[in-house]
Amino acid sequence: MLDIVSSLLFLGSNRNSKFKSYSMNQIVEKVLFSEKVAKFVVDAPRIARSRKPGHFVILRVDVKGERIPLTIAGADPVNGTITLVVQKMGVSSTKLFDLNVGDTILDMVGPLGKATHIHKPGTILACGGGVGVAPMLPIVEAFKKAGNRVISILAARNKDLIILEDEIRKWSDEVIVMTDDGSYGTKGLVTAGAEMVIQRETVNECITIGPAVMMKFTSLLTKKYQIPTQASLNAIMVDGTGMCGACRVSVGGHTFFTCIDGPEFDAHQIDFDELIMRLGGYADEEKMANERYLKFN
Amino acid sequence: MANISTRFFGLDLKSPVIAASSSMTGNKEQIIKMAEAGAGAIVLKSIFEEEIYHELQEELNLRSDMHADPEYLDYFDYVIKEENIRKYLILIAEVKAKTKVPIVASINCVSSGEWTLFARKLEEAGADALELNMFICPTDFNKTSAANEQFYFETINKVLQVVNIPVSIKISHYFSNLAEMVQKLALTGISGITVFNRFYMPDIDVDNQKVIHAEILSSANDYILPLKWIGSLSGSVECDMAATTGIHTADTALKFLLAGASAIQIASVLYKEGPSAISRMNEGISNWMDQNKYVSLAGFKGSLSHSASSSQAWERVQFMKYFGEKAF
Amino acid sequence: MSINKEHIQFERDKEWRTDLRKRTATKERINKIRTHMPEMEPLERIKYQDREVNIGLHETQALMEASRCLDCVNPTCIEGCPVSINIPKFIKYIELGDFLAAAKTLKETSALPAVCGRVCPQEKQCEASCFYTQKLKKEPVAIGHLERFAADYERESGAMSVPEVAAPNGIKVATIGSGPASLSFAGDMIKLGYDVTVFEALHEIGGVLKYGIPEFRLPNRIVDFELNNLEQMGVKFVRNFIVGKTSSFDELKAEGFESFFVASGAGLPRFMNIPGENYNGILSSNEYLTRVNLMNAANDEFDTPIIKGKNVAVIGGGNTAMDSVRTAKRLGAERAMIIYRRSRDEMPARVEEVHHAEEEGIEFINLANPVEYFADAKGKVNRMRIQRMGLGEPDASGRRRPMVIEGSEYDIAVDLVVVAVGVSPNPLIPSEVKELKVSKWGTIEVNENTMQSSIPEMFAGGDIVRGGATVILAMGDGRKAAASMHIYLQDKHQNKN
Repeated sequence: MLDIVSSLLFLGSNRNSKFKSYSMNQIVEKVLFSEKVAKFVVDAPRIARSRKPGHFVILRVDVKGERIPLTIAGADPVNGTITLVVQKMGVSSTKLFDLNVGDTILDMVGPLGKATHIHKPGTILACGGGVGVAPMLPIVEAFKKAGNRVISILAARNKDLIILEDEIRKWSDEVIVMTDDGSYGTKGLVTAGAEMVIQRETVNECITIGPAVMMKFTSLLTKKYQIPTQASLNAIMVDGTGMCGACRVSVGGHTFFTCIDGPEFDAHQIDFDELIMRLGGYADEEKMANERYLKFN
Repeated sequence: MANISTRFFGLDLKSPVIAASSSMTGNKEQIIKMAEAGAGAIVLKSIFEEEIYHELQEELNLRSDMHADPEYLDYFDYVIKEENIRKYLILIAEVKAKTKVPIVASINCVSSGEWTLFARKLEEAGADALELNMFICPTDFNKTSAANEQFYFETINKVLQVVNIPVSIKISHYFSNLAEMVQKLALTGISGITVFNRFYMPDIDVDNQKVIHAEILSSANDYILPLKWIGSLSGSVECDMAATTGIHTADTALKFLLAGASAIQIASVLYKEGPSAISRMNEGISNWMDQNKYVSLAGFKGSLSHSASSSQAWERVQFMKYFGEKAF
Repeated sequence: MSINKEHIQFERDKEWRTDLRKRTATKERINKIRTHMPEMEPLERIKYQDREVNIGLHETQALMEASRCLDCVNPTCIEGCPVSINIPKFIKYIELGDFLAAAKTLKETSALPAVCGRVCPQEKQCEASCFYTQKLKKEPVAIGHLERFAADYERESGAMSVPEVAAPNGIKVATIGSGPASLSFAGDMIKLGYDVTVFEALHEIGGVLKYGIPEFRLPNRIVDFELNNLEQMGVKFVRNFIVGKTSSFDELKAEGFESFFVASGAGLPRFMNIPGENYNGILSSNEYLTRVNLMNAANDEFDTPIIKGKNVAVIGGGNTAMDSVRTAKRLGAERAMIIYRRSRDEMPARVEEVHHAEEEGIEFINLANPVEYFADAKGKVNRMRIQRMGLGEPDASGRRRPMVIEGSEYDIAVDLVVVAVGVSPNPLIPSEVKELKVSKWGTIEVNENTMQSSIPEMFAGGDIVRGGATVILAMGDGRKAAASMHIYLQDKHQNKN
């Protein structure tokens, strides 16, 4: 009942505005980057208009689904759409991945979190791991537009998992691709690529987004060279509005909520080991749910 | 200026004059002024459990007018405590950014349990050392002296386990065998013992027949008590000692140094005269050293203590002859 | 809410009331014993998350209980009610047999009587002020049970009257949050003809009524029934919308909203900041109850996971702690424990909840406080260290101060800990609206009588103003704000003309 109510509302004002007031979250475009990674363009005019780089959304695919966070990889305020990139991993990401153009996402709220602090320190080194490159794209774009020199490193296990290379290239002075197996770009970990850049030239600030382990080691590297670094965290969330504390993380000895104080924090102060530990908090239950889902789908 | 450097709190200090924990050392501007005036170290204002409780009472009174849900207020003291700790940690970080003078964080210990996590945070925030302010006034009829003493050792042990920075303590004089207690404390691994703590004391208003508070600031003669004990103990104990209470002039400071103290902590004189009292004391000590041809504190420190001078004055307890002869 | 004594007297003097009083002698009334609310059997009810414990009074019980009420000349019960419901009037309608009229009376003051009848701490409010309690030293009239009876009767009879709604005046107002404060605000404003939109951040409407209070205490269908009523009257509900983030206040003003009621609640969870609190398996009560009540995590068909602990410790002594520990019991805990630092009597939870919890086998460990948590190699909590407490002098709230007993620590095995030590005001709106005057601890400051904030077109009420409040107080705020906002907007529009 209430679903229909929220979608039938429309603006009563006489402004000449193109977009509907309260969105149905319909998928208008889907692009498969690989077997497991897809890009979605979703109709969400208000979020598109209010969103800044670094913001994320919380969404629920259906009534039985989980609420999950996804960083907004891009937004088009004129057309009223946002871009999300999802990698198929567990039940929730698979449900989303399996949606198609014309389908709707039942619930989506945003923009959440604190926007990235964009400024002009000089040379930015952006290190993106796997799907982490999607949230990194808008940040790279913003730093480039602010007048910085931007060097982007894209890293993944293999060629299939390297995404958004062209889009990143558009906003970078240099792009380095690293793959664990050498199937694309240079063989090696992101830290190898990063260290090579750091030793070659002055890096004023670093951004790192990707799996927690990857961010941890990138951060240890930049700490060695005393390069200020921001990491965008992917903690477990339920409501995403600061209400439950599931996403709490220790930064500089204090506890913060990733959803309202983050998602970006000073990487050198983050207790990554605790974050990695907390990310495994529901591993057993998630595994069981995945098995159940696969059995019936 | 003569070399008046010393060692206390487990740290090398440029002066033996230390700004003791007081409300002034909770203020960033005052702390910087004291550092600029030449303080050897600054002990930050303690977080008092009583203060937190007092703030809680205020909030409870305010909210009861609004019929706040008792559930909201039930654990509100934790909120207040966390806010106070947060401000304290910010103070440490801000002050450390502005001066190189060692900053000593102070923990007021009434119960041992809650403060260990706090101690670690103080270290992370940049404190150079910790002072445990052992605030036990033995007025509880149900506690044994052994239990009271046990508390000291338990607390010290707990804190030493969780921090790497040096830990010192400040104690009261209420012990049945002060000498034994100080000696045992010196062996726990702490880096300094300061004698003595100053408690809030009551007084009586005879005209109005009610109980009031006694004079808060120390008077000049209050130094006699700690002086006795510095003199009696300093040479025989395995730990640096410092003194506090009633030290208002360079002259008094020198008494303690001669008696064996490695440093002195001042508060009341700072209230009365401001941070310039520190530079005046430093100068006074330095001038005296020049006059007496001492190049460093090592030249005279403890030369009049009991262990060095074996003066009977340190041991004697009875007045005897003085009063016996006085005419009435 | 001020009590209009003349009006109370006027109602009391009406013929039907006088006749009813004469029908039964006072002595006869007083000799009756307070009725007992039928309840599900404890061992049976802990098998279900969604079966209400209190079944509800039968009609005969309600009639009997209503007749106990003496219809006092000076009804002290009204003084005990935070919103001054005309209690004798509704009870006497029940005695008369006109249950629908009783429900209507309740709704003159309270927007959600079916909710309040279930969750109000009557033992501290109306029933504490009842003549029976005060003067006769006997059990009070079961006002709460009767309120629930009347509200449930009206709902189930299908004869729910949709109140009259004034002609639309075209003035758009918004309320932020969809908890009890907002709902009662919306109900009043829609009746006055305003165009009302309720903005809710979550995907479900109802706030704490839905995600906080479990099914076994307040079934969601009861809340939904009230929501549907509001919708029928014309209130618009928008979910997944965070005012200040999804759109700013300025953007909404540009879209025609003229005034706002901020009722975003106290949703920020509090932790104790003790060592080990970030281990897995240690949750805030908000997280635990949201997973179970909002996301149906206990049901395997739903994706959201939940830890079903065997040795569960809940820290706290309020209703949230009771809700959490009783939920854990229902999810299969062998030991479901309350760890509270004061005594049983000093626990702020509703007496009925504590009583029900005891029946269900909840272990109460009083005069105990956690100081540290320990975990296994994977970081999952498996042990907690408790310190025993003594009690000292009473503090300003009248409850005795907890004092640590040195050296009294001991450990217990746990595999799930729920921290239910209170919540703080949601910081979002104060951080988005810099000009809004906010107290030291984050509550929005308002004029006590008008609920108007430092910004004229913004009113506020409920937990975001009081810190933590009961449902009935939040509802009272909503009504007060509606009345003041009405005056504010009428003045504004008259001045324009």
